[in-house]
Amino acid sequence: MSTVIDVVAPRLLGPAVMVAAAIIVKGYSDVGDGFSAGVIVALAIALRYVTFGSERTERSLRVLAHAPGVAACGLLLALAVGFLPVAAGDPPFTHRPVPGVEVVKVGTLELISAVAFDVGVFLLVCGVLVTLVHHLARLVEAGDR
Amino acid sequence: MVKPPRGGVLAWTAVTAAFAAFVACLAGWLAGGGSVDVAWAPTLDLRLDLALDGVGALYALLATGIGTIVFAYGAAYLPLHLEHAGRAEAEGRRFWPWMTLFMASMVGLACARDLILLFVFFDLTAVASYFLIGFDRERREARGAALMALLVTGVSAVALLLGAVLLQDAYGTFSLPELFERARRDTTTTVACALIAVAALAKSAQVPLHFWLPRAMAAPTPVSAYLHSAAMVAAGVLVLGRVHPLLALDRTVLDGLLVVGLTSIVVGGVLALAQDELKQILAHSTISQYGYVVTLYGIGGASGAGAAALYVLTHAIAKSALFMTAGAVTEATGESRLSHLGGLAGRMPVLAAASGVAAATLAALPLTLGFFKDELFFGAARDRGTLVAVMAVVAAALTFAYVGRFWLGLFAGPRPAAPTAVPALLVAPVAVLAAVALAGGFVVGPFAGLAGDAATVTHGAAVEVAPAYHLDARAENVMAVAAWLLGALFLLLARARARATDTVARAGDRFGPRRWYGVTLRALNAYSDRLHDAEVRDLRNSIAAVLVPTGVLVALGFAFTPTRGSFAVGAVEIEDLPILVLLVLCVAAAFTVVRDPGRLRPVLALSVLGFALAGVYAVAGAPDVALVAVLVETIITLVFVGVFSRLPQPPRRRPARVPRSRGWRNVLAGLVAGVASFAAIWATLSRTSPASGDAAEQIARARDAHGGDVVTVILADFRGLDTMVEITVLAVAVIGVASLLRQGRTW
Repeated sequence: MSTVIDVVAPRLLGPAVMVAAAIIVKGYSDVGDGFSAGVIVALAIALRYVTFGSERTERSLRVLAHAPGVAACGLLLALAVGFLPVAAGDPPFTHRPVPGVEVVKVGTLELISAVAFDVGVFLLVCGVLVTLVHHLARLVEAGDR
Repeated sequence: MVKPPRGGVLAWTAVTAAFAAFVACLAGWLAGGGSVDVAWAPTLDLRLDLALDGVGALYALLATGIGTIVFAYGAAYLPLHLEHAGRAEAEGRRFWPWMTLFMASMVGLACARDLILLFVFFDLTAVASYFLIGFDRERREARGAALMALLVTGVSAVALLLGAVLLQDAYGTFSLPELFERARRDTTTTVACALIAVAALAKSAQVPLHFWLPRAMAAPTPVSAYLHSAAMVAAGVLVLGRVHPLLALDRTVLDGLLVVGLTSIVVGGVLALAQDELKQILAHSTISQYGYVVTLYGIGGASGAGAAALYVLTHAIAKSALFMTAGAVTEATGESRLSHLGGLAGRMPVLAAASGVAAATLAALPLTLGFFKDELFFGAARDRGTLVAVMAVVAAALTFAYVGRFWLGLFAGPRPAAPTAVPALLVAPVAVLAAVALAGGFVVGPFAGLAGDAATVTHGAAVEVAPAYHLDARAENVMAVAAWLLGALFLLLARARARATDTVARAGDRFGPRRWYGVTLRALNAYSDRLHDAEVRDLRNSIAAVLVPTGVLVALGFAFTPTRGSFAVGAVEIEDLPILVLLVLCVAAAFTVVRDPGRLRPVLALSVLGFALAGVYAVAGAPDVALVAVLVETIITLVFVGVFSRLPQPPRRRPARVPRSRGWRNVLAGLVAGVASFAAIWATLSRTSPASGDAAEQIARARDAHGGDVVTVILADFRGLDTMVEITVLAVAVIGVASLLRQGRTW
């Protein structure tokens, strides 16, 4: 079993990110949202942690060290999308385009501000979960030493 | 050239901010005030309604004016204070933000005209005061005092919220000006007013909720000089002055205030005479002095409102000067007990003169602003009746006696202590306040004008406050002379006085409310510990603690709602076959979880159960739920496997049998929870058609929001604010984990 995981774990991240991107892109007209996408990516990373331990995982994926920053950016993005309409005199979470206005599409992607909010949720969930896994892994490994 | 420490820069920033705010408030008041009214959450009837009217101007000017002076004092005091305690000067960084926040919330409270806004600022002052009183956090009594102040004023602040909600329910608004128009005299209004009064009285340290104030003297002196003379305790009477037109609807509420006020005057005054610690004398004096104000609000009417406003103003000036005197004397001599001090007049002449003026102001001697506060007080008391008038004279005599004892004990007498020199900045603020009090004794006009404006708001009609010196034998003058004579008598009869006040103080310690506070707190703590122990004794208890109350509550819900027609039994058709197969899988997995004695197999069976349920959702037309269920199930499985891989191998023997009584309890808990959730799910599934309600509307509107998937649209659009709050909780949780597990490292 462990051989299978050893092979699968490092190769799972690419497909996971792909699936997450797909979910976000088509999310507003079909099943799925930023939360699910964030959890999918985080799960793939968590599987690496379980298989290889934090040391090796973080050495092979240097980008993980930015997880807290990614979470913060996600929170800020979500806040901005939610509360910028207040500056225009609308209630918070008034999404553009407003009902009745045609949505601009780039392929499957619909340019709606709600999708930007979803991206914020995705970044936050992903960043938070990876940070949590990292902290717990560090704690456990510190206990082992 | 030594670089000024960072604490100093912060301190002077705070002083500058306070002074700028003072100038702004003064200019605003002179320009005739103004108001801001933003309905920021109209569906909840929440408004940001701030007005710099009479009451607002009076308390905002006090908060910023006394604030400026006390902050300047603190800039000199705090470094000395930290040095004595052997702490780094940089710790001042934890002091000034709270002081400034306190001042800001005090100004907000002064101007708020909306009950919810009032409550928010009320609690903000309590929170800031918690950190300020507990500033010397390594001292146990400072922490206890901070907690006591927070509990007593914070718990009673809930009464303010209750009162606000009662009034909103009855009259449909939180806004005070609207309530003044709509409110009628009835039981609801009276109860609501009494609740608001309770919150205000606790904040103003009135009997029987006064005991937190003397404990709060564990705070550094600038905190006492500010919070416990002009701000925190003033917040209570500020609320009384703000909502007074509501209180005045029912005479019983006012009579209640009268009784509490007079009791507080006497209790505070007698206990002030019994104290030896300088700050304890002043703390009990504050209880007594705010008793005056509460009494005046209890008397009510134009004269009561005007006298109360001038009283608050005068008292704040005099009392913070006396607090700062106590701090300066303690810094100079290292001694804080009156019995060990004396004869300082020759060594510290400026401080003696300045605090002499402050003491004279509090004791209402002529040529100070204080004379006028008592003139108005006597006038209002005389109008109310003979009993109150007599009490007023006794009250003033008590004030005269303890203020005299305080000042004479410090500066007169034969025992010349040898004080060290103190920075001029510890004396100058006292002198400034004394000069203000003295100026008020000659030109009372501006002070009376401010008090008159405040009283106009309190009384609800124009009030003229016009105190003046009258050289004749009118009642106010006779009462004043009587009070001085009686006070002098109290001072001279030192031995009899000490015996009487000590008896009262001892009785208070033994039977007083502070003891009840301790008993209640300990009992609650013990109860909470017992409950917690029972809950966490073993895993079964922890689970039962969640499941059984939930089950019982659900069962109660079913018992009290009509259930006719809510349990439908549908037909089983051939296209339901996939669901049936999945459900059979669920049942089989559930049995494995319960019966298998191993470790990993039950966990895997649990995930099979979860995935099968996710399959049911997918087949039953809820793909969103299915997706989330699959993800959550994966996480749980991964966590279980991760945890189990770290546990030691279990011994190869059968686990000990569960005792019979314990076994029955398990069955009972399982039954309660199982039956309740079964009933709840059945009832929910019996209503599958979203024909009405929010769900139907959300489905109908998802198209308008350019969304094809209702769940996503709900999360990102219809209930976007909820999602925002939830993801913020996630971010806060990770901060919590980082600070608990890894000393706050972000990575």
